[in-house]
Amino acid sequence: MAALTRIDVHHHFVPPAYRDEMNKKRPMQPCMQTWTIQNSIDDMDKAGTQIALVSITLPGLYFGHVEEARKLSRLCNDYGMEMIRNHPGRFGLFAAIPWPDVEGSLKEVEYALDTLKADGICMYTSYGDRWLGHNDFNPLFEELNRRKAIVYVHPHAAACCANLIPEVNESIIEYGTDTTRAINSMIFTGASARYPNIQWIWSHAGGTMPFLIERMVNLAKIPQVAAKLPNGLMPELKRFYYDTAQASNAVALGALKQVAGASQIVFGTDYPYRLSIEHVEGVAGAGLSKDEMIGIDHRNALRLLPNLAKLIKA
Amino acid sequence: MPDPHRIDIHHHFVPQIYKDALIALGSACPEPGYQPPIANWTEQRSLDQMDEAGITTAMISVTTPGIHFGNDAAAAKLARQCNDAGAKMVADRPKRFGLFAALPLPDIDASLKEIAYALDQLKADGIGLYTDYESGGVKFLGDKKFAPILEELNRRKALVFVHPTSCICCSNLQPDIADAVIEYGTDTTRTIASLVFGGAAARYPNIRWIFCHAGGTMPYLIQRFIDFSGRDKAATATAMPSGMMHELTRFYYDLAQTAHPGPVGALRQIIPNSQILFGTDYPYGAGCLDQVKKIADCGFSAAELAAIDRTNALKLLPRFA
Repeated sequence: MAALTRIDVHHHFVPPAYRDEMNKKRPMQPCMQTWTIQNSIDDMDKAGTQIALVSITLPGLYFGHVEEARKLSRLCNDYGMEMIRNHPGRFGLFAAIPWPDVEGSLKEVEYALDTLKADGICMYTSYGDRWLGHNDFNPLFEELNRRKAIVYVHPHAAACCANLIPEVNESIIEYGTDTTRAINSMIFTGASARYPNIQWIWSHAGGTMPFLIERMVNLAKIPQVAAKLPNGLMPELKRFYYDTAQASNAVALGALKQVAGASQIVFGTDYPYRLSIEHVEGVAGAGLSKDEMIGIDHRNALRLLPNLAKLIKA
Repeated sequence: MPDPHRIDIHHHFVPQIYKDALIALGSACPEPGYQPPIANWTEQRSLDQMDEAGITTAMISVTTPGIHFGNDAAAAKLARQCNDAGAKMVADRPKRFGLFAALPLPDIDASLKEIAYALDQLKADGIGLYTDYESGGVKFLGDKKFAPILEELNRRKALVFVHPTSCICCSNLQPDIADAVIEYGTDTTRTIASLVFGGAAARYPNIRWIFCHAGGTMPYLIQRFIDFSGRDKAATATAMPSGMMHELTRFYYDLAQTAHPGPVGALRQIIPNSQILFGTDYPYGAGCLDQVKKIADCGFSAAELAAIDRTNALKLLPRFA
């Protein structure tokens, strides 16, 4: 087996007890049903991935009931920690929280980061009609900022935008767009500048943000908007991290590099929706330099997660 | 600016009758409302901007929020009045202006009549559509509701300019972020997906489509498009017998509001230079000359730029040669 040199920041796990609960609501997709820890490890081995930071994907944790969301978050986080213990050096955890339950989320942040020593927190791009920069998030962001936490953000189709086009699955357009909305929300509400210690990782090469950069630049020039951006627009965009999941190609990575810089791109696969090896091949064919590719493989992620350096023997 | 040669495919006109219509709506006016760029537009300002930026010809169209504000009769009347006003601008300066005529969609019958009037009587150069219409829910251009319109446009081999709007799903989602920033581009992507995956793009091969803003966000999402088209091969073969990329690479794309090396580089990875058109979005944006300067910094060769500025558009609009 080739040396394992990659850090995958976008890799999903499906705790069996979580799967059972979700299946009662609506059967999960086939790749969620068949997921196992061993399948993840096999996929990682094939792609030269040393460690995958696992997170809970859709449909998430909150279905209108606070107690249920707290219970689901806890069971997922405990299961993730068990994976880490049983497979040393292969997994890390972006912990689940029961947002929009503020109190429960603050407790779970404490449990995940202090007790479990999770690597960061997983959030979704929007909750109902609130995107991540909304004032509702202030108490949570205060705490995450204080802890200098990593927040990995996963998209979904926002409540506004499910099932818009009969022939087109909402993952094609709406997921990427909701990431763009959340990034814009973080920046233009001033939240990104207000909480400078939170380290953000956005999925899927920033959704569609890099393609809409001209619009953002123009918005940031309006004086009352600029007043909320003490650092300006580009320094905020260039401090975020963006993963390669479902965007490992020259089109997206080329544009992302122009906007955010290659140093902010981190390897992500969206396993088990997609295979990790596809992303290795995709990044290799994206017209990047060898040095930029090493950055994407692990060096950029190590700036976020320096404790992992001992695992990477590149 | 020396050497006037450019054809601006994306340039708005705001006849007084349209200003009056938006003013009359007052607070009921949909996004973006009666804003300074619209309020302050005059024909002379357009001409001044064009002269400054070396634009010989501007293809004029009505911008957002469009023509139809809930009343079919009022929409039919407004479309007719705007088209007459546009046709007068063209008649006064036939080489300086061309017209993409407005339709009172989603009213199908009135729109078919307006297509005939605009193309036969006014000799408009093409038809302007919006990315979606509200008619018992949101309908994108590939929806079967619009089949009679697309049939007729296909029969006439029409040039169709598709301008974004903010979908009813997505207006005013966030107080700090105008719809134009994210939602316009996204709606262009949605209507492209609707036309391609719904089969209308392949079913009506004679329609020559122009999409704004470098395709909205479609190029950035190309991997999702490709993966989705490979998921159900039978459905894809039915909807797109010549393949998805065949449809995407026959469409035309303007560079309005996207003249940045990031998005332009992404567009060029998947779309041939022959399909890329100069566009300004005037009176939106920072002016026509600003757009010329920005495009100059996007890495095109002189030959590519010459095609984008003029000759690609001339293939669609030979009367300006």
